[in-house]
Amino acid sequence: MKGKIIPLKDNLNNTIKEVIKSLLEKGCFDAILVPNRVPSGESFTYLLINDQDFLESCTPLPPIMPIQGARALRNLTRRGKTSLKVLCVMRPCEIRAAIELSKLRQVELENISFMSIDCPGALVTKDYIDKPKDSDILYEEVLDQWTSEHLRPTCNTCVNFSYENTPSDIHIGIIGQQKNHILLLPISDKGNALLGKIDIQCSDEISSWQTNVKEILQKKTDQRNNSFSELQNKTAGAENLDNLFSDCINCHNCMRVCPICYCRQCFFESSDEVRIEAENYFIKAQNKGGIKFPANTILFHLGRISHMALSCVNCGACEDGCPMDVPVAQIFSYIGDTVQKMFDYIPGKDRNEPIPILTYKEDELHEYEDSKGQ
Amino acid sequence: MANNFKPNIIGFLCNWCSYAAADLAGSSKLEVPATLTTIRVMCSSRVDPVHIISAYLQGADGVLIAGCHPGDCHYQTGNYYTRRRFALLHKIMETFKLDPERFRLSWISASEGKRFSEVTKEFAEHIEKLGPNPLKNKPFIE
Ligand code: SF4
Ligand code: SF4
Ligand code: FES
Repeated sequence: MKGKIIPLKDNLNNTIKEVIKSLLEKGCFDAILVPNRVPSGESFTYLLINDQDFLESCTPLPPIMPIQGARALRNLTRRGKTSLKVLCVMRPCEIRAAIELSKLRQVELENISFMSIDCPGALVTKDYIDKPKDSDILYEEVLDQWTSEHLRPTCNTCVNFSYENTPSDIHIGIIGQQKNHILLLPISDKGNALLGKIDIQCSDEISSWQTNVKEILQKKTDQRNNSFSELQNKTAGAENLDNLFSDCINCHNCMRVCPICYCRQCFFESSDEVRIEAENYFIKAQNKGGIKFPANTILFHLGRISHMALSCVNCGACEDGCPMDVPVAQIFSYIGDTVQKMFDYIPGKDRNEPIPILTYKEDELHEYEDSKGQ
Repeated sequence: MANNFKPNIIGFLCNWCSYAAADLAGSSKLEVPATLTTIRVMCSSRVDPVHIISAYLQGADGVLIAGCHPGDCHYQTGNYYTRRRFALLHKIMETFKLDPERFRLSWISASEGKRFSEVTKEFAEHIEKLGPNPLKNKPFIE
C-alpha cells in the first residue's frame, strides 16, 4: 500500500480538519459526525455538522472518549439509513463497534463512511474533567509514548489501534510522525475514490510508519499478555471473581455506556428480574444461606458476558463509566479475547462475517455434546 | 459423604423430543433419577445462558439441556444455535473455573426413552461424585 504524506499545519487536529474540510467542499459528504469539545471545555461529545464554522471547533482525535462513537451512530441510524451522506471520524474501536452493531441491525451503514485515526488511547474521563488543561498537555506526552498509566487500562493492552482489523475507508497514520506530518491511507475502494475527489494521489512510501506501527504493536502485545496472565489468576474461581466485582453497586452503568449492549428490554432491567415475590427471595435465601441486596450482581456480569463478549471491542467505556472502579473492561477484554479466539473471530473486522452465535455449522463442536448413552 | 448427598439437578427439556422421551421413560417404567427437576421449553434454543448461570448461582448441582438431535429440531436449526451458545457458556465457565463439568448438553429424541433414562442416571451419578455445588452457602456470590 502507498499513502499520501501531508505536512503538519500548526497541529495534528487542524491538519486532519483541513482534509475533512476539503471533502466537504468537494461535496463528498452532506455532514460529518465528529467529536467536539463541549462549551464548558471540560469534555467532548459527538456533533453532526455540515457547517464549516462548527468544523473549526471540532477535535478529530480528542484525549478522552466519554461517548463511544458507535452509540452516536446508532442514534443517528436507529430508524434506518440516512438519506444524507455522512463521514464518521472515529477511533478504530468505535468503528469496529459500529460494524458489530450493523450485524445486529442496530446501525445502518449505507451512506456512512469512516475515517479512522491511529489511536494512542483515551485518558480516563474522570481525571480529565478534573484538570482539562493539564490533561491536554499530558495527552501530548501520550502521543509520544503510545502508552501511559493515565490511559484507560484497556487502551494500553489494545492491539487494534491502527487500521488493521478496522474496515475504515480512509485511515490517518500518525504514529511516530505526528510532529511533522500525517499520512493519508485509502483503506477501501470508496476511500480511494474519495481521496481522488480532493486531488490526492497516494504515491508516497509508508514503510517508516509501518515500522513504527509494528514497534508499538509489539509493546502493546506484551502488555496485553502480561495483563491477561494476571487476569487469569484474578478471575479463577467464584471467590476471586466475586472479589473483583465486590464493589459493584448494580447501577448497570457499564451496560448503558457499552456500545454493544443495545437491548431496549434487557433482562437485568426487566420486571422479571427486579420485581419477584418476597417469598421467592426467601427460597433463594434458604438455598444460599442468605441473600444479598441488590441481588444478581454476578449473574448480571456473567450474563452480559455470555450475551456480548464475542463482540466486545476492548474500548474500555464500561470501566470508564463505572462509579466504583470495578475493572469491568479488563475482565471483559480478557474473557472476550478467550471466546473470540475459540471461534476465530475478531469483532468489527469484517462487515460480512456474522457474529458466531448468530450462525452455525452442522458438523462442529461435538466435544461439547454428551457422548454418553449413545 | 457422596452417599447421603442428594443432588439437585435442573433439566431444561425440549417439548418436542427430550420431554416426550422423559414421558416415554416413565410409561416404560424405566428409572429416572428423583433428583432431576425438569423444565419444559419449546426448543432447546429457548434456553439462554442466563438461565443456566442463574440455576448454578442459586445452588443447582447440575444443569442438563436436552434437545432434538442435530438436524431434527422442530424449528429446523434451533439446536445448532443451542450448541454454539452452550459451547460459549462452557468456555466462559471453564475460563473462570466455575465448575464447567456441572453443565451438560444432550440430544435425546422423542422415541429414546431408554436413552433418557441412561443419560439422566449417568449425569446424576457424575454430579454425586462431584459433590454439592460450592456456591450453596455463599450469599455474596450470586
Ligand atoms: S464490554 Fe466494555 S470494553 Fe467491551 S465493548 Fe462494551 S464498553 Fe467496550
Ligand atoms: S460494574 Fe460498575 S458500572 Fe457496572 S453495575 Fe457495577 S458499579 Fe455499575
Ligand atoms: S425443537 Fe427440540 S431442539 Fe429445537
